[in-house]
Amino acid sequence: MFIGQDITRVDALDKVLGKAAFAHDLTKNNMLFACVVRSSRPHAVLKRIDVSAARALEGVVKIISHEDIPGENLFGAIKKDQPFLAAGRVRYKGEAILIVVAATEETARRASELVRIEYEDLENISDPFLSIQSPVLIHDGGNLLSHRKVIKGDAAKAFESSDVIVENTYSTTWIDHAYMETEAGLGYLDDRGRMVVASSTQNIHYKMKEISRLLAIPPEEVRVIQATTGGGFGGKLDVTVEGYLALAVWHTKRPVFMRYTREESLLAQTKRHPLYIVYKTGARKDGSLTAVEVNIVGDTGPYNSYGETVCLRAAVHATGPYEVPNVLVNSRMFYTNNPVAGAMRGFGVPQLALAHESQLDEIAGLIGMDPLDIRMKNALKRGSLTATSQVLNHSAGLLETLKAIEPAWRERRKERPGSGFGLGCMYYGIGNTGISNPSSCYLTLTPEGRVEMHSGVCDIGQGSDTVLLQILCDALGMEEMGIDLVRGDTDTSYDAGSTSASRQTYISGMAVCDAAQKLKKYLKEQGYYDGKPLKDICRDAADKGVPIFEGYFDPPTTAPDPETSQGAPYATYAFATHMTEVDVDEVTGVCKAVKVHAAHDVGRAINVSNVKGQIYGGVAMGIGLALMEEFIPGKSESFDNYYLPTSMDMPEVEAMIVEDREPTGPFGAKGVGEPALIPQAAAVVNAIYDATGIRMRQLPCDIERLKLALEKDKENKR
Amino acid sequence: MLPKFASVTARTKDEALSWLSSLENPKIIAGGTDLMVKMRAGKHYSHIIDVAGIPELLGVTEKDGRMSIGPAMTHARLSTEASIVRNARSLALACGLVGSPQIRNMGTIGGNLGNASPAADSIPPLLIHDAVLTLESRDARRKVPLEEAIVAPYVTSIDVKELIDSIEISPLRGYREGYRRVAKRATWAISRLGVAFAIREENGRFLDARLAIGSCTPMPFRAKKVEDLLKGAPKNEATISEAIRMALEEIKLISGIRPSYAYKLPVLQGILEEVLRG
Repeated sequence: MFIGQDITRVDALDKVLGKAAFAHDLTKNNMLFACVVRSSRPHAVLKRIDVSAARALEGVVKIISHEDIPGENLFGAIKKDQPFLAAGRVRYKGEAILIVVAATEETARRASELVRIEYEDLENISDPFLSIQSPVLIHDGGNLLSHRKVIKGDAAKAFESSDVIVENTYSTTWIDHAYMETEAGLGYLDDRGRMVVASSTQNIHYKMKEISRLLAIPPEEVRVIQATTGGGFGGKLDVTVEGYLALAVWHTKRPVFMRYTREESLLAQTKRHPLYIVYKTGARKDGSLTAVEVNIVGDTGPYNSYGETVCLRAAVHATGPYEVPNVLVNSRMFYTNNPVAGAMRGFGVPQLALAHESQLDEIAGLIGMDPLDIRMKNALKRGSLTATSQVLNHSAGLLETLKAIEPAWRERRKERPGSGFGLGCMYYGIGNTGISNPSSCYLTLTPEGRVEMHSGVCDIGQGSDTVLLQILCDALGMEEMGIDLVRGDTDTSYDAGSTSASRQTYISGMAVCDAAQKLKKYLKEQGYYDGKPLKDICRDAADKGVPIFEGYFDPPTTAPDPETSQGAPYATYAFATHMTEVDVDEVTGVCKAVKVHAAHDVGRAINVSNVKGQIYGGVAMGIGLALMEEFIPGKSESFDNYYLPTSMDMPEVEAMIVEDREPTGPFGAKGVGEPALIPQAAAVVNAIYDATGIRMRQLPCDIERLKLALEKDKENKR
Repeated sequence: MLPKFASVTARTKDEALSWLSSLENPKIIAGGTDLMVKMRAGKHYSHIIDVAGIPELLGVTEKDGRMSIGPAMTHARLSTEASIVRNARSLALACGLVGSPQIRNMGTIGGNLGNASPAADSIPPLLIHDAVLTLESRDARRKVPLEEAIVAPYVTSIDVKELIDSIEISPLRGYREGYRRVAKRATWAISRLGVAFAIREENGRFLDARLAIGSCTPMPFRAKKVEDLLKGAPKNEATISEAIRMALEEIKLISGIRPSYAYKLPVLQGILEEVLRG
């Protein structure tokens, strides 16, 4: 049995010994260095670009502009609307304009500073509410990227018969992924002249396709390899260095390396979407929710990236994990000249959790109900209808997570002035929203007598390699891990889809199970389970020609109705409850998260340490979202002025695992990557209310915002 | 990316002083936790002279009732140095709060003064201990009170050819002394506000109260008017609120009204209340 065990991660030893080759470590003989010249303006026409001084610098090999692109300049995971290199116009500060390739990194960077660019500024559309009205269009199709609705029942009518109605506005800001490893990679031509790019990435097959379009060469002529990756959190889903490397190699025919500085990563890469949320909740005196109406306005920056996806996911998760009979959600995403907002752990749902969890606490306060009781009363459970009228037929363990927290909640005691307790719940659809998002893999037998798993899954540090191996071992009924892992390379694997949407354990895990069933059948026929050594079976197989056992899984979903979003956008959901204890210092406005209880229904914990690791990390990110992280365009330049929580800001975390098994998942597993983060900020904000009586509706609730709110409250009470 | 530069490691003070006097565009490095950041952002020097290992610039000594601190002492060492903990508690506390463990292990008190940040944690404690710097060049030696050595944010009156030889402070015994600071997170943060205090009281009266405030005005400052008011005054709410009113007035007089004061002044008020009430 490997499932449910704390199997040591397969990547652990190499990482602690410093042997793992991260993208930043990659090198090759005769290697050149590239860097990107970026826009210093948020919105401008490029009038003139003078590269003469840069070109004259000794050691500069090539300067590449959009005119040097052999194929398509536009890329994008959802819609191809973002140029690799700006063509005549820039739409955000930090947009790539040129690539400088030089003999050394220093020369490349020095040359990039010598490029002179004349801009003619256009109106800087600096927030989505300006974007709504502005006659200036960021794209020809208008400034509205996406508008999604969720309509269920009749919210307006339900409000009329509600005993209590609460309506508030919430807002969140840009958050940087702040992975430990900035974007980096190495490109080169292999012996056959094929384009090879190795990089820090969350998705190799997608990037292979983008490079093929960029260079106008068939995908078979491109090989993308995932270097050991130091974190992603959604920020390495979009093309980062890969396109620039491919172009630089294409033009120089030499290996080219590049890496972003931290400042460049902060400036140029995607951020979490700032959302403005107007939230109205209706309930009866007994605490049962009658209706919610939610208006979401999001700032997606100048390109789609994952903006459409976040727009829809935020909408369908807007009610939170509760039975709400009447729902009206309008979710709109606008283009602006702010940083490109893209995928980040939670895809819009943490922002909504802030709103629905604050609302629920307010309702509870008004009717004199305990925050835990009101959650239990409304919790989605087996047989419930979600906001999109999807019936939860199985694995819906929210109540169990609430019950896991219940003893700590009931026994809570404020031991100091300034201490407070808050709850946050969430549910999260595993996998992409209402679209096909399959994973595939294959297994072979090696002449050495081992099973070889070929996986295109990008392990970005979360531990999917280990989890997939555990699944395979148990699916085959193996007693020891006699499996070789071949991974992260488009040449040796099938497309597993992106490492995103908390989908790899569930979807790729099922693909592995599928392949394992086929291999198991073969092994059974060959007598493996009757005692014939694997070595002999492999030898025989080699004589006959090694068979390949393919696995595939695409979670069953339905496309959301275009008008009402009704349907079954996800095959399964994860559920969680967090309880956070804070200490608020009313003199300084400092809020410290002291203790967190985090209960997660993960279906089945394949690797308990991995699940707990995700929960600890999610809590840390949630603390950052709640209390300090704020990317301010034009001001946040480095970690000097972008504050991330440190280990000293971490509360003690008690991770509790609830296992309501998901029958469509591998051994009952779902996912936990994003759920770990989602309810934490909401729990912090509710705890701050408990401690101070003040509702913080704008994140982050940093020391200054909290102190000013405390001061205002004092004045009001005078 | 760092600009090109040469570096030398001075083994003695004399060696450092002669390099300082002879090189074209030298800069002292004493830990480098601020300097390297500035250089990475483009600041250029021909030579970096490392003085962090010079034995004469290390250690803490006591003589004639004054204490002398070697400028190459790291924050980490000062925060646990027994004589500092005993005689200048606020300084030990402040040094223990600077940046992060890594910064405290590298950064030195001399470097902290040379950088002269308005948010430097070591400066308010040094002010309440009447710190005097001894500055030395190859040809001369002079003493300057710390208050006069810092002339503007990040600007000192220390000449490029001069080195901080020592930092002299008065020990305070029989005082309730401490350092309170506020930062945006638990560690690895620049102070948003820092208050060093040393208070001596007897029979319900303030005998002597010393207060210095950092991160609030262009340079950390010692609230001398407030101290004068408190000297001999009865310890009661009327005195305390008058003292605080005066402190806030003084800050506004120095800096005018700044947007950050909407946060900082109420916090300072709260901290001073706690500090003065004890």
